[in-house]
Amino acid sequence: MNRARLAILSLVALAACGRTPPAAPSAVDGWLRLAPPGANASAGYLRLRNPTAQTLRCDRVVSTDFGAAELHRSVIEDGRSRMLRDQVIEVPPHGEAELAPGGYHLMLFRPQRDLAEGDTVQVTLHCGERTVDAVLGVRKA
Amino acid sequence: MGAHYAAAPADAPTKDHRRILTVPSASSPNKTALTVFLAALALIGGVLAAVYMTAPKTTVIESGTLLQQPRALPAFQLVDETGAAFTNAQLQGRWTLIFPGFTYCPDICPTTLGLLKTVQSQLGARADALQVLLFSVDPERDTPAVMQRYVHFFSPAFKGATAPEPALREFAQALGVAYAKVPGATEQSYTMDHSAALVLINPRGEIAGYFTPPHRVEALVKDLGALIENGA
Repeated sequence: MNRARLAILSLVALAACGRTPPAAPSAVDGWLRLAPPGANASAGYLRLRNPTAQTLRCDRVVSTDFGAAELHRSVIEDGRSRMLRDQVIEVPPHGEAELAPGGYHLMLFRPQRDLAEGDTVQVTLHCGERTVDAVLGVRKA
Repeated sequence: MGAHYAAAPADAPTKDHRRILTVPSASSPNKTALTVFLAALALIGGVLAAVYMTAPKTTVIESGTLLQQPRALPAFQLVDETGAAFTNAQLQGRWTLIFPGFTYCPDICPTTLGLLKTVQSQLGARADALQVLLFSVDPERDTPAVMQRYVHFFSPAFKGATAPEPALREFAQALGVAYAKVPGATEQSYTMDHSAALVLINPRGEIAGYFTPPHRVEALVKDLGALIENGA
């Protein structure tokens, strides 16, 4: 079951208020966990907002700041920690999805430069015909 | 005591037995009552003392399970983050919290070690009585140097240890830790499934219990603090 679904964190009541909703999906609160020296991969987290009327399905992430990038999910099954690869993140219409420690995350391999706390890196999520750019601030935890 | 009773016929009451149950006819009712009362009191006291002396410690933890009887570990030998041997001797004299994991694990492992760092800080001076050990189930990639860089990134007090097979499997089994290698996109990008519980070792080097996820700082500080204060 690769196509796991993310829980809806909150529904944005865009229709209820009179403002024009933002047209495109976006990523906010992005951060990258500073990896210990020598580590070849770090995890990135963010919140995906989908203000559109269609479900947003993201199945790929790319970044020029890293050698490779994948969508992963940590789960605990039968008392075991497991990491699932090739995940699809679904964000319902007018909803949000959160990538957070212990769950869905961006797996970013081989940073192309030394990263320190306070640096930022760029990633792009591919969601069908749409792309969502995200900035991740590097944090220690 | 067992030998004494075993020597007597099965149906013959012992002298001690009769003395407690029979009351001398010459005694006054008050004296009889007092004798029975004192005998009963002594019996209850003895039973309570026996229960107290043999019972496991009464600390109750909320973020996991303590074993009714701590379980001894067989002799084992791992390699620590400095390249030195890590054996049963290194588990003596203080509590040890064993986190099964591996360093090529960017989500769960740093999250857990970061959390344990916070637990360690909040325990204050009591943290001296607690050793935190990353038990790597990935000896192929987790050399001593890799483990050292990794655990010291979180705390200079944290230890790391692993072992080549079959020592790894033997120690993991003794701990009750399961693990399995899961292939990745490339030969070097495999991951490891591993037990999510933390294993608690008492200062005598025995398995005392398990902390089960989700791990929370507050509960761990409370439980570990109580265990450390109550002693082994």
